[in-house]
Amino acid sequence: MDLLEFARGPALQLSIYVLLAGSIWRVLGIALLQSKPDYSEPRQAGGLGGALKVIWSRAFTAPAFKKATMYSKTLGYTLHIGLFVTIFFFVPHILFFKGIFGVSWPGLPNSAIFFVGVITVGVALALLIRRMTHPVLRLISNFDDYFSWFVTILPVATGLIIPIRFGVRYETLLAIHILSVALLLVWLPFSKLAHTFLIFMSRGTTGAILVRRGAKT
Amino acid sequence: MSRTQTLGEILQARGVSRRGFMKYCATTASLLALPPSMVPRIAHALEHARRPSVIWLSFQECTGCTESLTRSASPTLEGLIFDSISLDYHHTLQAASGDAAEAARHAAMEENMGNYLVLVDGSVPLGNPGFSTIAGISNYDMLVETVGGAAAVVAIGSCAAFGGIPGADPNPTGAAAIQDLVTDKPVVNVPGCPPIPMVITAVLTQFLTFGQLPELDKHGRPVAFFGQTIHDRCYRRPFYEQGLFAETFDDEGARKGWCLYKLGCKGPITYNACATMKWNQGTSFPIESGHPCLGCSEPDFWDKGGFYNPVSTASLGGGAALAGAAAAGVALGAAAAALSRRRQARTIKEG
Amino acid sequence: MTSLDTINVQVEQSHGNVKPILNEVMHAIDRLLEAEEPTVIDLAGLPFGPGELERLEESLGRGELHAELDALGASHIRETAYPGVWWLEHRNSAGDVVGRYLEITRTPEILMSQDADILAGRARLGEMLGDKEARQ
Repeated sequence: MDLLEFARGPALQLSIYVLLAGSIWRVLGIALLQSKPDYSEPRQAGGLGGALKVIWSRAFTAPAFKKATMYSKTLGYTLHIGLFVTIFFFVPHILFFKGIFGVSWPGLPNSAIFFVGVITVGVALALLIRRMTHPVLRLISNFDDYFSWFVTILPVATGLIIPIRFGVRYETLLAIHILSVALLLVWLPFSKLAHTFLIFMSRGTTGAILVRRGAKT
Repeated sequence: MSRTQTLGEILQARGVSRRGFMKYCATTASLLALPPSMVPRIAHALEHARRPSVIWLSFQECTGCTESLTRSASPTLEGLIFDSISLDYHHTLQAASGDAAEAARHAAMEENMGNYLVLVDGSVPLGNPGFSTIAGISNYDMLVETVGGAAAVVAIGSCAAFGGIPGADPNPTGAAAIQDLVTDKPVVNVPGCPPIPMVITAVLTQFLTFGQLPELDKHGRPVAFFGQTIHDRCYRRPFYEQGLFAETFDDEGARKGWCLYKLGCKGPITYNACATMKWNQGTSFPIESGHPCLGCSEPDFWDKGGFYNPVSTASLGGGAALAGAAAAGVALGAAAAALSRRRQARTIKEG
Repeated sequence: MTSLDTINVQVEQSHGNVKPILNEVMHAIDRLLEAEEPTVIDLAGLPFGPGELERLEESLGRGELHAELDALGASHIRETAYPGVWWLEHRNSAGDVVGRYLEITRTPEILMSQDADILAGRARLGEMLGDKEARQ
């Protein structure tokens, strides 16, 4: 078994199992936690409606904070959209998902994906520099922050290198790319990257509570 | 044809003029990716070369490799070189049979001890010697015996090079590749199902001309012909880059000759010369004819996830495994929550 | 974007192979004039982008002499618009191109009658004449 077969076979399989098990572990582990019963009178109906409302509204910065957070928010959104486009609109990736889920959708030309990928890596570097130079972020950033950044950007970077080649065999570069994805999947549920699904739970819970208390959200 | 005649004499006897021979040497140099300055040396070597003894062993094979080499409508240059070697043993092509054939093989081996070339097509079954025998001799025994006095071994076709179709899952005969069985002689792999005939003759020509074998890649394949992927030389590559793919075999994209990646083309991971040299004297190759590349020159291509599954499809080990992972997640999550709740209850009680 | 012909492949975009080859040819002509040293350039060994081989052929043009050789298939040999620079195209018996060369020389060797062929022809002629004499 060569490196590529290992990457596409056992490595990827195992990482998907870990992702699945880990994500369910975290979600259930949090969902089943006991919460302090709220004996106050609800000012408005909270619950699911409130949860959904805040999940949506938190995507937009409150006017008071707009100016101060403009830079990091713009970079952050660009990063996330860039990741979304490169992962879900590159034809070989679409075929990968089709093999698992049976559905496919139209993709974008390779050159467009490459362009978006380069922007994504650029923005990620800018965010890293910010994290390392900003007086507060420097102090509060830990291993999880840096390693999560690394593990997210590595698949994008290795994916960009594949067409450039640098004289290395295609199979080797592809194997490294797939292994980097496997690493991401394994790290995701147990790190800050779990915000991928936890953000909906945390915003939702906050929303349910705040809306019940009558806050304007 | 006498063994003592040189190649030059044979060509002349066939009515090939000196000009024809010069043309042949020039194009051979091109074929071997050698500079034109080597042509005089090639000409000299071929002229004076005694026809090398070649023993062709056929094991678990379909004879497609022999067909590929000999199937030419009009005499071609590769046919010429092939005729000019002394093919002392070949099941399909030889006139002799039975004991007489085996005697011919032994005679050739003795006369040319240390200098003959062994060409092998087909894999060797290790499961049971009885699975494939010739004149009552098992393939393995014949291989070991014949290779003993050989100068080099050329494994022709994917079966001999990597195990091929007999070696595909579940490999019922225990088919083994030649390179796994012959460790004390140089082995050149010329894979493909079948290989491009010109590639076979180029390897033979290299040996004839220079007495040495070509530069090989990590799978033992001549780099000159197996150094580039089909994808990197495919004329449909612009369509791949632009995202224009055929989705089915008779849709608009297929008719317009768009990229066949979505239909399972293994071009990106297949090293061969099909896209440049093409088949049937440069007529066409599978992709040009509208069918995705099968990857037939790669090891275990039969088991690489299906001919019509795109390269980027994953194999996930089935629903049971996924369900198991999900169940593990549920168990761990419930356990974590239970522990947390107990700690909470204890804190409340103590508080 | 429909069929292969309508792809936006910019033939104008040069892969930069024509000019260096022409330069090489120019230096080869110098060598021929100064030292009577011929040069052979194998065009199959050079990576041409789409349309570049045609552009090279166009740049070199056609001269006053061309010859058709019939040996193991057709071969076309012609002097280009630059005397001393010959374009050789070899085909096999199936009509496919098996070699393309530029020869910078006074006469490409393949045009000249070869010793072995002359000897063989002489033998045939001698036989034929011998026949005639015997019948007389």
